[in-house]
Amino acid sequence: MRKFLLSLSLPLFVTFPALAMDVSEIVAKANHAAYYQGEDGRARVKMVITDKQGRKRTRDFTILRKDTKSGDSDQKFYVYFNRPADVSKTVFMVWKHVKADDDRWLYLPALDLVKRIAATDERTSFVGSDFFYEDVSGRNTTEDTHTLLETSDNYYVVKSTPKKADLVEFSFYKSYIHKTSFIPVKIEFFDKRGEKYREAAAEKVETIQENQTVTQGSMTDLRSGSKTVLTYSGVQYDIGLPDDIFTERYLRTPPTDYLKK
Amino acid sequence: MLLLSEMAVDRPKSFMRLAVLISLLCILGVALPTLMPQQVTFLPALSIDTDPENMLSSEEPVRAYHNARKEEYSLYDMIVVGVINTTDPNGVFNPQSLRNIYELGEYAREIAWDGPDGQTEGVIGAEVIAPSNVDNIEQAGMGTVRFEWLMKTPPETQEDAKAVYEKAANLPFLKDTLVSGDGKAMALYIPITSKNISYTVANKLREKISTFGGADEYHITGLPIAQDTFGVEMFIQMAISAPMAMLLIFLLMWYFFKSVKLIISPMIVAMVSVIVTMGLLVMTGNTVHIMSSMIPVFIMPIAVLDAVHILSDFFDAYPRYKDRRKTITHVMEELSSPMLFTSLTTAAGFGSLAFTPIPPVQIFGVFIAFGVAMAWLFTITLVPAYIMLMSEKSLEGFGLAHHEDEEHPSTPLAKLLHAMGPYTFSHAKSILALTLVLFGVSAYGISKVRINDNPVKWFAEGHEIRVADKELNARFAGTYMAFLELRAQGDLKASFALALEKALEENGGKQSLELKEQMDSLGGDIDAIKDFISTRQDALSDDDDAYYAWDDVATLVDEAYGETEIFKKPAMLRYVEALQQDLLKTGLVGKSNALPDIVKTVHRELFLGEDQAFRIPDTQNAVAQTLITYQNSHRPNDLWHFATPGYDKTVLWIQLKSGDNKDMNTVVKAVEDFIARTPAPIALAHDWFGLTYINTVWQDKMVSGMMEAFLGSFVIVLVMMIALFRSLWWGVLSMVPLTVTIAFIYGIIGLIGKDYDMPVAVLSSLSLGLAVDYAIHFLARSREAAKKHGAWKDTIRIVFGEPARAIARNVIVIGMGFTPLMFAPLVPYKTVGFFISAILLFAGVATLLILPAIITVFEQFLFKRKDT
Repeated sequence: MRKFLLSLSLPLFVTFPALAMDVSEIVAKANHAAYYQGEDGRARVKMVITDKQGRKRTRDFTILRKDTKSGDSDQKFYVYFNRPADVSKTVFMVWKHVKADDDRWLYLPALDLVKRIAATDERTSFVGSDFFYEDVSGRNTTEDTHTLLETSDNYYVVKSTPKKADLVEFSFYKSYIHKTSFIPVKIEFFDKRGEKYREAAAEKVETIQENQTVTQGSMTDLRSGSKTVLTYSGVQYDIGLPDDIFTERYLRTPPTDYLKK
Repeated sequence: MLLLSEMAVDRPKSFMRLAVLISLLCILGVALPTLMPQQVTFLPALSIDTDPENMLSSEEPVRAYHNARKEEYSLYDMIVVGVINTTDPNGVFNPQSLRNIYELGEYAREIAWDGPDGQTEGVIGAEVIAPSNVDNIEQAGMGTVRFEWLMKTPPETQEDAKAVYEKAANLPFLKDTLVSGDGKAMALYIPITSKNISYTVANKLREKISTFGGADEYHITGLPIAQDTFGVEMFIQMAISAPMAMLLIFLLMWYFFKSVKLIISPMIVAMVSVIVTMGLLVMTGNTVHIMSSMIPVFIMPIAVLDAVHILSDFFDAYPRYKDRRKTITHVMEELSSPMLFTSLTTAAGFGSLAFTPIPPVQIFGVFIAFGVAMAWLFTITLVPAYIMLMSEKSLEGFGLAHHEDEEHPSTPLAKLLHAMGPYTFSHAKSILALTLVLFGVSAYGISKVRINDNPVKWFAEGHEIRVADKELNARFAGTYMAFLELRAQGDLKASFALALEKALEENGGKQSLELKEQMDSLGGDIDAIKDFISTRQDALSDDDDAYYAWDDVATLVDEAYGETEIFKKPAMLRYVEALQQDLLKTGLVGKSNALPDIVKTVHRELFLGEDQAFRIPDTQNAVAQTLITYQNSHRPNDLWHFATPGYDKTVLWIQLKSGDNKDMNTVVKAVEDFIARTPAPIALAHDWFGLTYINTVWQDKMVSGMMEAFLGSFVIVLVMMIALFRSLWWGVLSMVPLTVTIAFIYGIIGLIGKDYDMPVAVLSSLSLGLAVDYAIHFLARSREAAKKHGAWKDTIRIVFGEPARAIARNVIVIGMGFTPLMFAPLVPYKTVGFFISAILLFAGVATLLILPAIITVFEQFLFKRKDT
């Protein structure tokens, strides 16, 4: 009996130090792992959107990223479309601001048009996929209150509830954050009825330049039955991207040297 | 006398018990599996089907196509909620009303529950069209375009409320759909997982609406609502109108026969016939459909008809015999042959419907034919059995007080008929001349018959569904949706493979040639080709040159594939745009939503929202880039309601203000004409779907099917009549009242402009069943009497005695009996009620006026022919 009690209490004792980790620290580390590895980076992304009927749409783009402030703060993104051929050379550019609304630009070569896109709402689709803008550029961690629900052998399960509920379509989301890499391996979104309707997953993780990097991620819309898979290739960190390529000038004349490996 | 009747007279109690037993079994057979489906699994439960779609077999190509397209374009059946405010100068565009609309929209999105099989049922939240759930695209200052929810939160000020309207009215796919053109009303479109839950969802919406204050009127409509409501009211009809008709028939019979006890027997016959028929219908696993729900209403008059003949004859003959048994024997001997034949002809009339191409009509016909057989069986057994069970004492004085001295009639009816007989003799030629004139007028009327139907019009004027229909169609572009799919006539996949192979050869690079070699094994499939290229690239992570060479090949593939994306081509979009414009000229289409509208709107907003930019851009790439911009909204998948992701097919949503089949047909014709006149840059095939269109398909089948069934059964009945009378000309003569009645009825329908719709179509069979009955009774009795009395001049007095009274009583009892149906809130029942009465009246009059007039004129010929 004495032995039994001991064996029961032991695992509790062992997990205790992990519980001691502050939830805001977990969230901060997860945020870093998902969006802030390296000073800058480049990746070739293949996006495949498969709907309930099995119909596929693909997009192929190159993404450039540069952190402009230290401390996991402001960033700039340059997304250059290679395919479909009819949208080739289309560019999305985002200046992400942690303390203000993002700035977003769109360049449409066939219309020879540079357009700013108002970013009052970040929960719009990213080029018709199941990902929202916010999923691609990262949701500001201060917009939600986070609580640690559970600590399992491998994951911290964090529940995040929006501070301004009427700005978003979810009532809360649950992140399964890997304990050592801090990569959010799974994020589940729940609606007002408490039902899960959307799920993000990190499907493949590789170590690139010592950074644990998601090389395949997906987003599933459980209501529509549509799923988007992003596959990253040619990922490189710390390539020394100059700041000026993230300007309007470079929308019309893409920085070819930096887009190719 | 018939053996069966004899047996019934001998063992009346056993026959009555048997009838009760059979009825109870039928009732239990329906009630048990319905009330205890778990315990009674070997019998099907009662199931109601109010879906007009089921007028067509589920394998019908147009339905299969409709369902496949609904799936492909993610289209759902929708409940429409119209909100109108007639007191506020701004209509519903004031903060209070918009707050309610906002709450209703948000509430509607969350309506969902777990269905019986564990799947979610209810509203498809993401697809709701409500101001808080649709995107607004607009200018947001210097060179900025914005996607935002049209009404993220309810506006606080009148100015903001007005702005909601201004924004929506600026978007072609919301104007006249979400907001009315006059800026006063709004309509929400609530897609549901299946039509059968619309009543439940509508009730939840009504509950929510009842919590709102203010002067807003809410109208809930849409085809699914109409159908579900019809189902509910159909039951009320069956439970109220049919018994009401029964009651009135009972009262009229009471008036004529003065004996409550006696006239209970026809009621029993009618009840048992209806119970057995409906019981069998349900037990054989058939659904109670709009058509089959009318079976009781049809069986009742037919069942009562023969019983009234027996009673009428009994009533007149009893005083002569003063003995039940003898009277019955006399009556049955006189009537058994005409009754058998009238039942056979009626059954043949309805049975012929089995050959129509419409499943519910087949079932309707077959079961009425069966019911008629049941009615005959119960009439010849139960009525005599019932009379035998009455004591001789209770029959005392029966018929006696009213016993007609044929030379000196006492009742007004007998007097009238007494006078009528000689009149038909003396005015035979003028009666025939008048008949011919009326026949001519009828023929003209028939030429004017307008074939048309509209399930919403199955509800009476003033019904909330009709009111909603009227209010919404007066303010919006139309609540009736029809879909037109356009697609290339040629094989796009084959031309893609061909073009790609050519491009790869021209390119001539190593990778191009490698792909070209693989083309056959990849089957020219775009996904397979893309996967192939990806796999090659993944294997090459170190060889950058080869990687980018494959990139170039992928671009070649895309470019070749782009040629198959025909609805990204400006010329094709402009063609669709022209077709949309042309449709507006019909005056029937309120508006149409299609791919060009999305492209033009986004293009306009990309160019500062200026009107001259509201156009299709000039290159395919520009169209593609406009569309990819659109996909950065909250509802990117709305695009796939209008096109396939391969852009090889597109769908036009056509909003009609009327669900009348004739209007839908006009629009179909307009599209045919346009396409014939204006060839598309790439040859197109087109097909329609949507409930509004499907209705026209089954209507066409019904009209032609009914016509064939009617002509077929007309010939069968004629042959039967010739056999019955063993004379060609007497057989032809017996068809006269029927022919005249049908001509008059449809002539009137044509003249008063009533639409030839589903219930009206079925009436031809009913006429066949009823009108020939009177003729058989009249002619059979005439020939019997002529044998005794010789000259027609003398015979006519006898015929216009008891036989004519039986027919006249029949006309009055059943004709009047069905008038309560005219007060039903469902139009098909009204129509049936009115026309049953009219058919009976015409058939009665035709029998009593035209037949004797013809016999008078052709007396020599008819009787001589018979003698030879």
